[in-house]
Amino acid sequence: MARSVWKGPFVDGYLFGKAEASRASGRNEVIKIWSRRSTILPQFVGLTFGVYNGHKFLPVQVTENMVGHKFGEFSPTRTFTGHSSDKKSKRG
Amino acid sequence: MSDPRILVATIGRPHGVRGLVRLHAATSDAASVETLGPLHDAQGHAFTIRWRGVGIAEITDGEGRIVADRDVAAKLVNVELFAARDALPEPDEDEFYHADLIGMAAVDPDGTDLGVVTVVHDYGAGVSLELRGARTIIVPFTRACVPKVDLAARRVTVVEPDEIELEGDLQLTGAAS
Repeated sequence: MARSVWKGPFVDGYLFGKAEASRASGRNEVIKIWSRRSTILPQFVGLTFGVYNGHKFLPVQVTENMVGHKFGEFSPTRTFTGHSSDKKSKRG
Repeated sequence: MSDPRILVATIGRPHGVRGLVRLHAATSDAASVETLGPLHDAQGHAFTIRWRGVGIAEITDGEGRIVADRDVAAKLVNVELFAARDALPEPDEDEFYHADLIGMAAVDPDGTDLGVVTVVHDYGAGVSLELRGARTIIVPFTRACVPKVDLAARRVTVVEPDEIELEGDLQLTGAAS
């Protein structure tokens, strides 16, 4: 069941401060967080969060398309790298 | 290159009585297995693949003989087929095969050893490299963090990002508009 709209998106409050500080510093930073349940807000776009998956902090580079999703969606707890041998990735 | 051979397919169970087999392609596009030229098994025997249906392939051995008998096909079950790394198409600019990245040495800009790239994580929120050396580091695969990828020297230059640890009071905050 979907969350009631009147409540607004859920975000752990302490994320805001560090996100602001990280944005202000303009440095190459990864913000380590455990809060997989927090919704990604427009304020976080452009930042990189290290989201804990129970084992390690996977870097999540927040883009506009990710707004409204939860941090945990991008840091899987069960990883299967697959059999694909010709997989390729673009440098961001 | 880390390994000049890349696993592209595994032969499965026979299909029918005319020597066709199920073929489990390990490439992102199964059809491309056919175009990678002659494939080789672990012992170096050559095979050519021709798709005859969805997941069904006809196999030709190195001497040009088509496998036309179920019993012969049954002997090929679980044979892994490899292609030469050079047979894969060249990636676009700033695009890298995971097979190339894995195993590369990682150094910082001063030349200090940081370990070896062991995993390439790509879960839809940017690619990151896992480096294993004296300690395990995961860095985003961006120009800021990985400014240089030297395929010939099998080395990546890594600028470690600063890490900020959040210490929150875990109080619930509802609306954020």
